[in-house]
Amino acid sequence: MSDWIKWVAPAALVSTVVAPAHAVQFMSLAEAQRLAFPSATQFIPIAGGACRAMEGNASVGYVVFDRVIGKHLYIDYTVAIGPDGRVRRVEILQYRESYGGEVQNGSWLAQFIGKSAGSTLQVGSDIRNISGATLSAHHVTEGVKRVLAACSGGGR
Amino acid sequence: MRRARPFLGTIVEIAVTDAGAGAEPAIEQAFDAIADVHRLMSFHDTDSDVRRLNREAAIRPVSVDDRTLRVLQFALDLNQRSGGVFDISVARHLQARGLLPLHEHDKTATPCLQSSSRAIELTPDRLVRFHDPATAIDLGGVAKGFAVDCAAEALQACGVSAGLVNAGGDIFAFGKKSWPVHIRDPRAPSGFLCELSLCNEAVASSAGRFDPFHSSSALGTAIVDPRTGENPGEILGASVRASSCMVADALTKVVMLRGERASASLKYFSASALFVRGETDVLATSDWQELRLAG
Repeated sequence: MSDWIKWVAPAALVSTVVAPAHAVQFMSLAEAQRLAFPSATQFIPIAGGACRAMEGNASVGYVVFDRVIGKHLYIDYTVAIGPDGRVRRVEILQYRESYGGEVQNGSWLAQFIGKSAGSTLQVGSDIRNISGATLSAHHVTEGVKRVLAACSGGGR
Repeated sequence: MRRARPFLGTIVEIAVTDAGAGAEPAIEQAFDAIADVHRLMSFHDTDSDVRRLNREAAIRPVSVDDRTLRVLQFALDLNQRSGGVFDISVARHLQARGLLPLHEHDKTATPCLQSSSRAIELTPDRLVRFHDPATAIDLGGVAKGFAVDCAAEALQACGVSAGLVNAGGDIFAFGKKSWPVHIRDPRAPSGFLCELSLCNEAVASSAGRFDPFHSSSALGTAIVDPRTGENPGEILGASVRASSCMVADALTKVVMLRGERASASLKYFSASALFVRGETDVLATSDWQELRLAG
């Protein structure tokens, strides 16, 4: 049935439920390196957050660690680049953001996941969605372009 | 295990409860499925099915990927069921407002006067033909939800027992686990409207904001009434729960534009909805269960 009921939110709800800040760690840099180049035997740091993936004596690509500002806080991510200079994968390592900071769009309805706002996070059972991901994704995209430009511009 | 990557103009997050050695490759397959949908249905990529259709389908029948065909079938069906409110040929309106780019093959941003279910034909031999040369489609109102469904299918095909896929608020949860989801209040973005418990179900939300699937621009709203070219009236945001994320994603547009009058479409797909109108009204279907206070 789709009979509509009018739901009156208690005024207290909006004011008392304050969005918490949070950070989500998806993976470590070492994990990202290993997943991008499973056959690599070592990762040799070169300039500017970049590592060269080595399989024996042969270079099989690069993993560049970078961070961009999401809305207010940093997003850590890696770009894995194949020997052909093309992006192999982009992986978000860590996302730090506050739920309360929707300053860009005053009225948008996003969903996010978690327990009730004030509760303690339980790793493994609580999943928090990335809210405000639009702008963040845009910044990551810009960051990847910058990384690629830097990689093609020098040192390779 | 949780992973996140940028796709579809947002950051897509995949979580699985399984921790075994199979989890990582399963997530990889799921991201591949999302990348495929992105590649096939982007309005921007020159080689996407959507671009090929807009370029050629008015001239000759065009063959597309089965996944694109599935989305088109659903979109044309919903166009009829919603009385024309949901319409993938809204692209011209969005182009006219500068929300979508004009491509070199676009002679005009003048909207096609026919609804998409009349102007677009899916032939029995699985080809697509546009009967009106003014037709241009944009799958931004449905492809993100479909991509979420594809990712969830890929995870299940890999033997993952429970998981969740979230593309910027378009969410599908499967398996024997309930996932708490908070609905943000569009009037007070730091507050919550309610909390849901999601289990083998999808939820999607829309609001007066730009859909990132189309463009990097964060200004304006992507929701346009295909009949008038106007933005939604007083409805600030809508959420829909349904059995698939594609259905939920598409129905949010119908609720945004029609409010209570979206009942028939919701009923047909066994979906439930909640929307916020103006500063005071929150309306929910009577089957929008677990409607309760957050916290």
